[in-house]
Amino acid sequence: MSEKPTSLVIDDEIQIRRLLRIVLEEEGYRVLESETGRQGLSDVALRRPDVVLLDLGLPDMDGLVVLQRLREWSHVPVLILSVRDGPEDKVTALDAGADDYVTKPFDSTELLARLRAIQRRVPFGTEDPYFQAGHLAIDFNTRTVTVDGCEVKLTATEYALLKALAQHAGKVVTHKQLLREVWGPNAENQSQYLRVYVTHLRKKIEIPSAPEKLLKTESGIGYRLILPAQK
Amino acid sequence: MFSFPRRARKLPLNLCLANFPFPARWPAFPFRHKGLYDESHALAIAILKKEVRIPDGDNTRPDPDTLLAVLRRDELPSHARSQVFSGMGPGVAKTYTMLRVVSPIHEFFLAGVSIALVTGASWLLAPFTGYQAIALLYLLLVVAVGLKLSRGPVLTVAASSAILWNFLFVPPRFTFYIHNFHDAVMFVTFFVVAIAMGHLTSRLRLSEVAERRRERRTAALYELAHQAAFATDLDTGLRAAVSLITSIFGAQAALLLRQKDHTLSNVTHPASSLTLSEKEKSVAAWAFGRRMPAGKFTDTLPDSEALHLPLQARITVMGVLAIRPSAGKSFDLTERELLEAFAVLIGLILEKEHIIEAFKHAEILEASERLHRALFDSVSHELKTPLSAVQTGLDALARQVGGEEKKRVTLREIQSAVLRLRRVIDNLLNMTRIETGVVEPKLDWCDVGELIRAAIELAGDALHEHHIIIEGDEALPMVKLDQPLLEQCLSNLLINAANWSNPETKITVRADVDGNELLLTVLDEGKGLNESDLAHIFEKFYRASDARPGGTGLGLSIVEGFVRAHGGFVHAANRKTGGAEFALTIPVETIRAETMEGLS
Repeated sequence: MSEKPTSLVIDDEIQIRRLLRIVLEEEGYRVLESETGRQGLSDVALRRPDVVLLDLGLPDMDGLVVLQRLREWSHVPVLILSVRDGPEDKVTALDAGADDYVTKPFDSTELLARLRAIQRRVPFGTEDPYFQAGHLAIDFNTRTVTVDGCEVKLTATEYALLKALAQHAGKVVTHKQLLREVWGPNAENQSQYLRVYVTHLRKKIEIPSAPEKLLKTESGIGYRLILPAQK
Repeated sequence: MFSFPRRARKLPLNLCLANFPFPARWPAFPFRHKGLYDESHALAIAILKKEVRIPDGDNTRPDPDTLLAVLRRDELPSHARSQVFSGMGPGVAKTYTMLRVVSPIHEFFLAGVSIALVTGASWLLAPFTGYQAIALLYLLLVVAVGLKLSRGPVLTVAASSAILWNFLFVPPRFTFYIHNFHDAVMFVTFFVVAIAMGHLTSRLRLSEVAERRRERRTAALYELAHQAAFATDLDTGLRAAVSLITSIFGAQAALLLRQKDHTLSNVTHPASSLTLSEKEKSVAAWAFGRRMPAGKFTDTLPDSEALHLPLQARITVMGVLAIRPSAGKSFDLTERELLEAFAVLIGLILEKEHIIEAFKHAEILEASERLHRALFDSVSHELKTPLSAVQTGLDALARQVGGEEKKRVTLREIQSAVLRLRRVIDNLLNMTRIETGVVEPKLDWCDVGELIRAAIELAGDALHEHHIIIEGDEALPMVKLDQPLLEQCLSNLLINAANWSNPETKITVRADVDGNELLLTVLDEGKGLNESDLAHIFEKFYRASDARPGGTGLGLSIVEGFVRAHGGFVHAANRKTGGAEFALTIPVETIRAETMEGLS
């Protein structure tokens, strides 16, 4: 991508918008600003940003509603930026179609890493059959998983789980999404299976001595497969 | 109206009698009685000259009310006195419903007298009117008797009229022999007509009696519904109900209501016109607990002064109605039915009141929760927005400053101050959540090892100078709890341990599941807790006498609050080997991975 990616900040606080502009421009984004939900929606439609940073507490309408309206016609990556830090708030937003969630006050480096992760839009398997994250490598063609070059035997379910996480690498995937993708739509409440398999998977793909864990628990929300660039 | 399916089972009477389980206290029965007993229902009915149909294929135990309804349909003689009593058979709870039919001796006596009078009068009139007109006189008697007495005496009168007419008046007199064909036809016709008339009139009377009884019942229930159910407040309604019982039954009544904790109150409701002794109250408690009538006229504690009826509403028993009849009086079938209907109605009124109140309470609670949520959201928004502007600004500055050492040091100081401010705000907001009681644990399955690691991660840089050791998490089952909440608790305990012990010492997190309790212990190698602090350390804003500056005194109270919201408790103590230990005990459901279905 030679052209600068465009980001749209939908937030009613002018201070936050100004500071985000500084951070984002420094990172090479073109920055658009919207003050209200309504304006944000029309800006997404007219100016086609590559990524949206959405605040939930907007003066004219709730950010969640903006997200729902947006998801009716657009697949643009959306990062929620909010002071609401309850797990329920996050799960609701993620299940409504948000790509990731960062709570205010936030760390700029982390914010940028999340932004990069949600922009990896290419659907997995169609483009690149290989996946690499730190010491972990997956070949989707042969369904082989290697850790530090050694092949690891995974059961079918473990592989499906790892694949689901890798396809959303860097992003948080909610329990519900994982259960649906790996066990099917009827298993959304069977979280005990997920816990067991994540524990199994961890033992197989993580190196105990490694300083950074590969599979991060987002408590009460889901899991995130950490990409090496990410902190 | 009560209706039955066509196919109904009629048990042979002799079998019924043979199977009839006689209760321990059999009321004095002067007469032969036939009974019906349905073994599968463990329920018995004994009535005179009546069979009771119990619907076929109905395997649930019919309640006494249903049986009474069945009996009512069978049109009991109006003078039938009922005695319905519930009781305990040996080891098994059984309800016997029995109807005692009082002797119609006085009716037979009346019938005899009236026949004698009419026969005497006919004797005098016969010479003038001829014997045929006498037959009409006798028919008149049958009709008159039919309107007054019950079926047995009426049929007796009808039969004996025919016989007497034949014997005393039809020539040749004083023989049963009938000379002429004309008279023979007349005698047979008379006999049939008399029997038929007796039968019809007594039926007419019965239905009239039943009608009157129904009307009385309806009127009384209407009265109660009108006075009690539509009363402006509950007390007035209950007072009306009690005074109605007093006026209709000539009895005193007391009400014991269910309390908020779903137990029976020990104090009679102020509307009561009867004071209950401790003994009576225990009878009421029995009736309340078993949802069955008890006390006088029943088989359970019949020595009591009063009859205790549970106020059965749709879902629960709302209390007990105790009725003490005036001396020497007992309740007949109708009265007993009516009393039970009263009890049901009062139960429903109480339930209605209860539901309205619960609804109001829920509405208030919801409104206050909404208000709290709005307030909380706006406060946290107002605090966090400027803080995040500061944070983002600092991040941007840090990048611009680059290698200038002095400026970087300054920035780092500001950054750590912002971090501290952030912790304080988070703590204050968490404390507010605990204080206002809106912390509601959302339980989900969780791996204890994962929980501990996530808590360590959450504590972040605060633990970097210490060695963290995790013990006992390997073989544990999965537990159901609110992971974010407990992660926060554990992380606070870890930070606390790090603050109170020297760098490079060990902090141990020990996990164990004992039955349905998860035990998480954080042990440090610091100097331990002062005895004087031990009692207060979970109090809000309490700071230990030798605390380092910088804390808010909220970390441990948040732990305590979250754990309490989760139904568990936290305990602090000093280790024998030095250092402090904090133990969380949390009630949990557990499941072992290997017992789960569908795992491959």
